[in-house]
Amino acid sequence: MKLRHLLRDILHNRGQAVIFTLCVALSMVSLVAVNSLRRDVRGVIAEDAAALQGGDVIVRSGGEFTPALREELARVVGEGLATATTAWEFHSVARREGGEAVLFSNIKAVSGGYPLYGTVELRSGRPFAEVLRPGVVVVGQALLDRLGLVVGDHLLLGEGRLQIVDVVVRESQRPVEFFTFGPRVFMSEGDLAATGLVGKGSRTSYRWLLRLADPGAAETVAARLQARAGEGERVASAATSGSRIKRFFDNLLFFLSLIAVFTLLLAGIGMQSSLAALLRRQVKTIAILRALGAGNRHILGHHLGLVLLLGLCGVILGIGGGLVLKGAVFQLLAGLLPEKLTLEASFADLLQGLGLGLTAVLFFTFLPLAGIARIKPAAIFRKETAGGLRRAMPRLALLLGLLLLSAVVVVQLDDVTTGLWFMAAVLVLVAVMWGLAHLVLGGLARLDISSLALRQAVRSLSRPGNASRTVVVTLASALAVLFSIYLVERNLRAAYIESYPADAPNLFFLDIQKDQREDFIDFVGGKAEIFPVVRARLLAINDREIDRRREVERRGDSLSREFNLTYRDDLLADEKLVAGKGLFGGNRAPGRLPPVSLLDSVVEIGDMEIGDTLHFSIQGVSLKAEATSIRSRTRSLLYPFFYFVFPEATLKAAPQTFFAALKVPQGEASLLENRVVSRFPNISPINVGESAVELGRLMAKLSLLVTFFASLSILAGGLILVGSILATRLARLEEAVHYKILGGDTPFVLKVFGLENLVLALQSGGAALLVAQLGSWALCHLALDISFRPYPLASLVAVGAITAVVVALGLLASLSVIVKKPGAYLREHSS
Amino acid sequence: MASPILVGERLCKSYVRGGRKIQVLDEVSLTVDKGEFLVIAGSSGSGKTTLLSILSGLDLPSSGRVILAGRDITGLSEDQLAPLRNRQTGFVFQAFHLIPSLNALENVMFPAELGKDPEARAKALALLQRVGLTARAGNFPEQLSGGEQQRVAICRAVINRPALLFADEPTGNLDSRNSEGIVELLLDLHRNQGTTLVMATHSPALAARADRLIRLHDGAVVPSADRTL
Repeated sequence: MKLRHLLRDILHNRGQAVIFTLCVALSMVSLVAVNSLRRDVRGVIAEDAAALQGGDVIVRSGGEFTPALREELARVVGEGLATATTAWEFHSVARREGGEAVLFSNIKAVSGGYPLYGTVELRSGRPFAEVLRPGVVVVGQALLDRLGLVVGDHLLLGEGRLQIVDVVVRESQRPVEFFTFGPRVFMSEGDLAATGLVGKGSRTSYRWLLRLADPGAAETVAARLQARAGEGERVASAATSGSRIKRFFDNLLFFLSLIAVFTLLLAGIGMQSSLAALLRRQVKTIAILRALGAGNRHILGHHLGLVLLLGLCGVILGIGGGLVLKGAVFQLLAGLLPEKLTLEASFADLLQGLGLGLTAVLFFTFLPLAGIARIKPAAIFRKETAGGLRRAMPRLALLLGLLLLSAVVVVQLDDVTTGLWFMAAVLVLVAVMWGLAHLVLGGLARLDISSLALRQAVRSLSRPGNASRTVVVTLASALAVLFSIYLVERNLRAAYIESYPADAPNLFFLDIQKDQREDFIDFVGGKAEIFPVVRARLLAINDREIDRRREVERRGDSLSREFNLTYRDDLLADEKLVAGKGLFGGNRAPGRLPPVSLLDSVVEIGDMEIGDTLHFSIQGVSLKAEATSIRSRTRSLLYPFFYFVFPEATLKAAPQTFFAALKVPQGEASLLENRVVSRFPNISPINVGESAVELGRLMAKLSLLVTFFASLSILAGGLILVGSILATRLARLEEAVHYKILGGDTPFVLKVFGLENLVLALQSGGAALLVAQLGSWALCHLALDISFRPYPLASLVAVGAITAVVVALGLLASLSVIVKKPGAYLREHSS
Repeated sequence: MASPILVGERLCKSYVRGGRKIQVLDEVSLTVDKGEFLVIAGSSGSGKTTLLSILSGLDLPSSGRVILAGRDITGLSEDQLAPLRNRQTGFVFQAFHLIPSLNALENVMFPAELGKDPEARAKALALLQRVGLTARAGNFPEQLSGGEQQRVAICRAVINRPALLFADEPTGNLDSRNSEGIVELLLDLHRNQGTTLVMATHSPALAARADRLIRLHDGAVVPSADRTL
């Protein structure tokens, strides 16, 4: 009986029931997709860590390994605890024999036995270890395509000439390194010396990979090796070794989580709005039930059952939709995901989705449900009013609900501070939108509008039961986020990719040795800008040691990595001093620590200030310096910048290489790269123009993903709009009948309804654009430190497009009202 | 001899509800002369409102036809009927049917504004003054009493000086004091402006003052020389 009564109520209010269910589903879709993908990625990274990292234990260094570590490793291998292989990795240009074509490539020189774990799949289908012999290379298809080579041709690497014998189809470790530019080239470690590419101070990643006889002993072996490791040498087990892929996915999924939680909140407003509309239609029924003696427990229980039944349907739909969305993300990120990652749904996905969904349902439906208790039997005799369910807001319960929701957000984001900031930001955004909606709707109501249709449309916005303000707040909030993402992405693209200035250098050369410096400058015609580079690690700030474990977990740049120090006495053209007296604090008393100038970005990372003592280690040599100034960059270019700048006297004697920046016509860049590499094989060129294109491609892919997720939040606004139209269907029908009885024709009725939605859309779009422009400006200026362009035309087109969609949606939902004959309405409502 | 302004020929109306056919009007024919005051009487459910809806073009008959001012309006579309409703006819309902989002003045002005009458405001103010509602011009329907709402509805119905005014139980929702005022107002308009008045009512007082009365029973006109209800 009870279930039948529930189903009858649902059928009777099917429009709002569908909107409510869709809102619940929408709140779940992106959360389920993100959580499921995160669980899978983390699971694969953890389970398949050895294959992704290449060994049970990984030993890394930015330079050649110290003898002590070599000896210890030899002992570990000698004791039968492990087998080891090496993988030296660096970037250099590969050249086509007999041609001028060059290509910046990602070269990996490996020893026998590689790979110890995972696979390198070749097009021939033959085992990698059998194919990669001295004197040959195995390359990525992209290299063949871009250099116009085929298998069997020869490739020039530095001074080496190696034959291409096969093509890499898939590499299990490759996703870990997907941010490295350029196609892959595998070569034998034995050929490395002949190429002359790896020299002292060159930018090579040295890696030993160990396969243990007992993989369970990974931590013990890693600790044993770490005990003998020198500075800059890091030993980690596969499970604890941080990887780029983990960091990348942590960051990406964290950002998607933010958007998903935002969608949840907006869809939650939709749940609240549609349930309130559904309950408004139930007021008379509830009043009759009360008059017949039904108590609060019975009535609340019945409606709670209704909410939970619809909520459950929504959650199931949401979980299904989330898994479909996950599949789409899977497709979009194909090539970046670990190869063992397969598309599947786990029980944990279902359980977490169910928990999250029902929590959201209970929170967002609490307010309308609480309003039921206030409906009196006397409501039978009164005409239903919109206000009946409002003001039933037990503040303590609301506060508790907010705390619960904040806790869910914090758990979802896995970060207390960000979670709380995020909740605060969303509340502020909603409050701002609410304020703007209140101001504009209030102002419009007071306007003396001469056009009859427009006046009627504006007046209709405040018809009883209309959720105009809720529609504007949700639509505007969702659009503001979407516009902001668009604006920031366009500005980032403009700053780093599109507007690469004509006078900026477009070709960089790395690893120029001290004795090559003058030759190099002569060779390129003296037009290079040269920067000395001293590799160092930061050990402590004010004697407080850098917590490397914590730094590794940090989201952005970290203090645990190796830094490039430089020396010079002046600011660069794109720098300005924001604190301090000159770069090095003017005249300094003898005996004081050497000065160092800091870039503002590193100041933020390390929470540093002028006067702090920074303790560096330059290849084992200790250097303490006092922070004397803070610099900032005035333009954001792909242009060299250094966190730490010292006076020449301090670093002149340190081991160093040089970095050169040149501006050459793009058409001549390849030729110069080729000539430089032929003359100085150890020097690595970077063609910034090409890198920018590659970066642009990746950005476009990620931007598409983020935009898609953000677009889902707009659906919440759309659902609320349709819900609002359904909730006021009777009022609209009555209006349409009035217009027709009084002589209004269909175009007039269409005009009024169309204008009403137009006002809503323009207000939402306008408010969103205003907030997005201000927010993006602040983000670009204050956080990203790039110049801001408002893209007015694109913004207006976006507002126009969303307006068209809202007006069309509104008219579509009102169509059944518009075509109704007045007589039919009067007959149906004559009683 | 007065010429007919409205003719209803063999009007039938039936609905299907719950699989059952309900015959609301059965072969009803009538003629209304210009300037006449006709009362349609009958018990509840006899088909008065349906007949009024069909005669005014608000609803379609299942069969038969309606001729308004010499023009067959039965087959006209909503958009073809719109100017007729705006200029030639007016309608007063039992439930007032004022537009809730407009105040009294705006409600009255509405049909004139639809007809792009530049004098709409002045005419509306004059009508409101005539019915004693000048002070309530800025009030919204929910702020007016039933009698006030009905007076506003009558002003709205006559602002374009229609030749034909339909009224469906105009005093049905009012107390006797308000009813009397409304009746006087309608008859005053009928007398002074020569408006043809077609009214469905239960009120014996109103029926007694009509030029002619037709009685409906189960959707058919029944002969009656008696004007008492």
